[in-house]
Amino acid sequence: MLQSLAGSSCVRLVERHRSAWCFGFLVLGYLLYLVFGAVVFSSVELPYEDLLRQELRKLKRRFLEEHESLSEQQLEQFLGRVLEASNYGVSVLSNASGNWNWDFTSALFFASTVLSTTGYGHTVPLSDGGKAFCIIYSVIGIPFTLLFLTAVVQRITVHVTRRPVLYFHIRWGFSKQVVAIVHAVLLGFVTVSCFFFIPAAVFSVLEDDWNFLESFYFCFISLSTIGLGDYVPGEGYNQKFRELYKIGITCYLLLGLIAMLVVLETFCELHELKKFRKMFYVKKDKDEDQVHIIEHDQLSFSSITDQAAGMKEDQKQNEPFVAAQSSACVDGPVNH
Amino acid sequence: MPGAWLCSCWGGRVLPLLLAYVCYLLLGATIFQLLEKQAEAQSRNEFQLEKLRFLENYTCLDQWALEQFVQVIMEAWVKGVNPKGNSTNPSNWDFGSSFFFAGTVVTTIGYGNLAPSTEAGQVFCVFYALLGIPLNVIFLNNLGTGLRAHLATIERWEDQPRRSQLLRVLGLALFLTLGTLVILIFPPMVFSHVEGWSFGEGFYFAFITLSTIGFGDYVVGTDPSKHYISVYRSLAAIWILLGLAWLALILPLGPLLLHRCCQLWLLSRGLGVKDGAAPDSSGLPRPQKIPISS
Repeated sequence: MLQSLAGSSCVRLVERHRSAWCFGFLVLGYLLYLVFGAVVFSSVELPYEDLLRQELRKLKRRFLEEHESLSEQQLEQFLGRVLEASNYGVSVLSNASGNWNWDFTSALFFASTVLSTTGYGHTVPLSDGGKAFCIIYSVIGIPFTLLFLTAVVQRITVHVTRRPVLYFHIRWGFSKQVVAIVHAVLLGFVTVSCFFFIPAAVFSVLEDDWNFLESFYFCFISLSTIGLGDYVPGEGYNQKFRELYKIGITCYLLLGLIAMLVVLETFCELHELKKFRKMFYVKKDKDEDQVHIIEHDQLSFSSITDQAAGMKEDQKQNEPFVAAQSSACVDGPVNH
Repeated sequence: MPGAWLCSCWGGRVLPLLLAYVCYLLLGATIFQLLEKQAEAQSRNEFQLEKLRFLENYTCLDQWALEQFVQVIMEAWVKGVNPKGNSTNPSNWDFGSSFFFAGTVVTTIGYGNLAPSTEAGQVFCVFYALLGIPLNVIFLNNLGTGLRAHLATIERWEDQPRRSQLLRVLGLALFLTLGTLVILIFPPMVFSHVEGWSFGEGFYFAFITLSTIGFGDYVVGTDPSKHYISVYRSLAAIWILLGLAWLALILPLGPLLLHRCCQLWLLSRGLGVKDGAAPDSSGLPRPQKIPISS
């Protein structure tokens, strides 16, 4: 009897602190994931870097040998200045003097990368005033961007996800969850091809030395807002229609971000994912009268409001049939 | 989504919002252009002068050879290889630096001073980020969950006396200020001392990092001429994670606090709004009452 008591108290302990256990596993998983990434990146990139360093050493030695009047220290000083300048996007090479980093369209592109928090770093504010303005601009602009994106994404999700899913569910009679999953997968497919594959193909054509993989890599790194900055379009020498190109890229980045968020929102609304996420959340103790009798996610509001709107119209047309119809409509989503 | 309830307040009018956003972008572009174009032109002229002076001093050099050399150096630089000094500098892809890089990918900061240059590295980076970014979002959201649950009692404050409301608001403000000091003021001081930056540059670095913009013009622990203690980068990584978690905590709290402050102010003026009309915290409007039977 003691054993069963102890067993049950253990179980109760685990159950009560289930979300704490889940959170602990989450932290562990996160750290392990970082370590895993570090190991793989290190093993893939280190040999290549080693090779590059050796090549560079040989080149520097050869250059110093060829031009004996140059001392190593002076060369290093010069190189230091050159690299400092290139850090700020200013190139010393004579053939790259055509492109300005801060004409209007490039500044627009820069502003959009700041607000979307991508931040390539190919152009950075050089002056102190620019840096200070950048901070103030972001402090106001990033919440503004969040608000803007939330508003747009919610609107689009209603039209792109909720209405079609509801349509297929009601008219064709499939189960709501199946329709939702199929729709989410389809939407993901369409978005990936429209916002990754097609732009990657376009970039690989427009940019001289990008192949398809590099363009795809650029699209992914930009739309996930990581923005490493190793590939930035429109910086090539003698780029034709540079201004238009930069504006086009700005629009692509904003639209792509909106599309990614719509897909994310669609996936997050899936029932299975909601259950998965709830595993990690702390349970709030609600007072009895505060718990809604029907949970929000079992009862989709747009369907109710849509049907309410629909019912008003029906009411005007055929009065005797309203009672049966309205009760059936309300019962339908509740049962799922 | 943090701004969801704000949206319902706004009435869902997207078009003016879109217009305002585009105007904000254009405004930013104009001001950046005004501030920076001159500085850029100045930098260019300076460096061209230096180059000419350098070539004058060493007449055995011809411009073409120098440019070729510089081109190769810059390409190597972009890949993160520093040609200064002898090449016994610590590698950019040893375990600690790769760990730091993995962290910047997963948090979407993405400095870019270091980037995978092999094809295999780039492909792996894509898949790694695909799994890592959602993991990061879940992780950061849950790091502050306990604290937010406690702070969320601010929602049910209508039932409580006015003084306790004021105390709660003050307590919250104190918490926010303390957090700002610990996350945004002290670490930049440390960084500027260790890296040799001014405090303004350190603060700029801290801001750009924590907002996940991550230009990469300032990165801690990358100066080859300095000796860092071995845990320096790990400490910086911990600071970044804590800072991001704290931001994830306060970002939804900020508008909520503002909203409550407005309500408090309105109430004190006797122009209070019945709270039944306001949206509840989950961001969805309360269920509309629908007659079941006619």
